[in-house]
Amino acid sequence: MMPDIDREGRRKKRAPVIASILLVTAVMAALLQSFQPDWAWVSLAIGIVAITAVGVSIDPPRSHKRGSRRRGSDLTGHGRAEDDGPAGLAAHRWRTLARVSRLMPGPAGRRWLAEADSLLSDIEPARRTAAIRSYLLSAPRLAVMMWAHQLHRRARLGPRRPG
Amino acid sequence: MALRLTVQVQLVLQALLRDPAGEMYGLELSEETGLQPGTAYPILLRLEHEGWVASRWEDIDPRAEKRPARRYYHLTAGGAVQASAALSGARRPKGAALRRLAEGGGTA
Repeated sequence: MMPDIDREGRRKKRAPVIASILLVTAVMAALLQSFQPDWAWVSLAIGIVAITAVGVSIDPPRSHKRGSRRRGSDLTGHGRAEDDGPAGLAAHRWRTLARVSRLMPGPAGRRWLAEADSLLSDIEPARRTAAIRSYLLSAPRLAVMMWAHQLHRRARLGPRRPG
Repeated sequence: MALRLTVQVQLVLQALLRDPAGEMYGLELSEETGLQPGTAYPILLRLEHEGWVASRWEDIDPRAEKRPARRYYHLTAGGAVQASAALSGARRPKGAALRRLAEGGGTA
């Protein structure tokens, strides 16, 4: 697992940016204090907003529910601890699967994702990355197939009547 | 839409025909055929659209079992007959083609 290393790296990257913003804010506040004393608070407000924006963009707050819209396991659940390769990579691929499933017609996409979830929680960790890759590779063609099937079905059933 | 009997489709049908009354879930099928799960899924879906295969979600409590439910696939009565007929009429996949599939994990 690599999150601690990542966090440390992000902290190191963030420190000089925040220091620069603080320096610029202090200089601006001092200048405004000399020439426009009533407007000194503006530089402080801008500085606070800038520091918050930099902090959030470099180290976004974590959201456990992000992208998940179903029960069961994903790679943040079952099998996550013994996942092969860097944890971040597997989680990233999982999020990509979730995004790709939205290209498919609603129920079909949800079923595809649920089946992938079920299979990936059963599969040996060493084979999981290849399995995710195969899902991703087949997804575009599958999405086209699903939409074609959906359109074919709709055409066969005819237009829906209100009521 | 006519079903194209590719080597991968034949492998899936052969696996399902080994026990026509039984059910298989995605990982079992993938291991049985040597195909990657991402390759097997579109085939199963196509077979399902054609009415050869039917599927159902496993009836379990995922929290109690500590794993998500599996989707089980089985041949329909008509599907088993059609699959047998199609396979007997199809050109048998050559050994080399099967070996290539097994080595490459069946990614189409």
